[in-house]
Amino acid sequence: MAVKEAVKKKIVSREFPEYIRDPNPDIGLDETIKRLTPEKIEKAIKAVLGGRSARIKAVLDTCIHCGLCAEACQWYLSNDKDPTYAPVAKMRMTIWEMIKREGKVDAEFIKQCARIVFTECNICHRCSMYCPYGLDITFMIGMVRRICFLLGVIPQRQMDQDQAHIVSLNQVWYSPNDWLDTNQWQEEEIGAGFKDLRIPIDKEGVEAMWLPLGAEPKTGIYHIERTAKIMYAAGVDWTVPGKDVWDSSNMPMFVRDFETMQRIVRGLYENAARLRVKKMVLTE
Amino acid sequence: MEFLSSTALYNILRGPLVWIAFIVFIGGSIYRVKSFINLVKEDKTILPFISLKATLRSLLHWLVPFASRRWRLKPVFTIMTFLFHICLVFTPIFLLSHNILWYESWGITWWTLPENTADIMTLIVIFTSIFFFLRRIFAKEVKFVTFSSDYIILAISFLPFLSGFLAYHQWLLPHKAMLNLHILFGEIMLIAIPFTRLFHMIYFFLTRSFMGSQFALWHSKEW
Repeated sequence: MAVKEAVKKKIVSREFPEYIRDPNPDIGLDETIKRLTPEKIEKAIKAVLGGRSARIKAVLDTCIHCGLCAEACQWYLSNDKDPTYAPVAKMRMTIWEMIKREGKVDAEFIKQCARIVFTECNICHRCSMYCPYGLDITFMIGMVRRICFLLGVIPQRQMDQDQAHIVSLNQVWYSPNDWLDTNQWQEEEIGAGFKDLRIPIDKEGVEAMWLPLGAEPKTGIYHIERTAKIMYAAGVDWTVPGKDVWDSSNMPMFVRDFETMQRIVRGLYENAARLRVKKMVLTE
Repeated sequence: MEFLSSTALYNILRGPLVWIAFIVFIGGSIYRVKSFINLVKEDKTILPFISLKATLRSLLHWLVPFASRRWRLKPVFTIMTFLFHICLVFTPIFLLSHNILWYESWGITWWTLPENTADIMTLIVIFTSIFFFLRRIFAKEVKFVTFSSDYIILAISFLPFLSGFLAYHQWLLPHKAMLNLHILFGEIMLIAIPFTRLFHMIYFFLTRSFMGSQFALWHSKEW
């Protein structure tokens, strides 16, 4: 019996015919672009690119189009050296085109940009390490992420994580009570096997304040257990903060939500100042 | 051809156009650097992190062939680009014929290259330019980001060397015509530098300083 294999219809970019991909539906991109108008798009682009800051100018005026950054990029190398994955290609297909057309691009183009900068680049900076000029290509990618963020065109999962930070100041929708409960529960559980093992909350003047990633108390509870045991064995005078912000994962940063990003960072430092700690210890 | 070989043309190229070329080149470059640094100052998060030590470390790392991993990964390209740039910069400066012109105009003179060496260096520029040209056509990742401006700046740097070589050996065109063309191409190149991406020759030092300082800030090594 012959088995018919469904042939996936490939997506080919209108502007760049070499850009060919499998379809990857995401309501964060497909639905949100329906709300866009050319005026909104142009306004967002002009607001972000503004007077062509020094960083943008440095890249535009110095990049000699040598393509050496390509070999630095894991996306390029793992996709059979497809030239559309090269860092310089990603810039060409997004921000260079936006600048060339002075912000007059349509919603389909924005969706393509969002796909490129959110799902085909992870801003690791390897390209900057391999560029002979040391150009900050990731900055340009970040600018495009900012433009997409302002227009609301972001992969659904990443937007959801940003939402969690906006509402609860952590990645996992924890309420302040959830956070305190989790620490107290762990202290009870593991403390049974040790003499005087504590998970101090809001202890002042300590050596180290531990700031976990959001996922640790929620889905990786053994991290709290292990950290407590390590601190106990090492004899470190430590604490966790008793109020927001305790989650050091900064998901707003990835979608260039600067406003929330600042709230998170400020919250972390305010806790450190309030408790007069010597060091802030982050999981990651 | 009459005009191209004429002394009248030579006098213009050798006289006022030299002034214009150098004034535009030097003045334009200074202006471009200054306005770039002003732009950098507006972005308040750049200058406070620039470190001289990191800059020097970065420059040394990247100006030595095969020092950085990037250079080691592409040995042919590395050799080509270093040869190209070294010969491009030092041939015009230390060429005997150019030295004579400086002596005629200003009475100054300095060490010059032996003629054979200068010949070989010029040929190196010619052949490495051809390498870059072919690379733009045949390397896929380069082709995707190659535009007409890239071919133009390559031609602007290539033509003074080709015409200089031909003028010296008196091939192809009558000597005076070739010479006039050579001077014209050289002046076009000088004038083009502050207005095109040929200015990367200056920007290299500034962008390298920035990224070198960033690596130092991140306690990361120079790759």
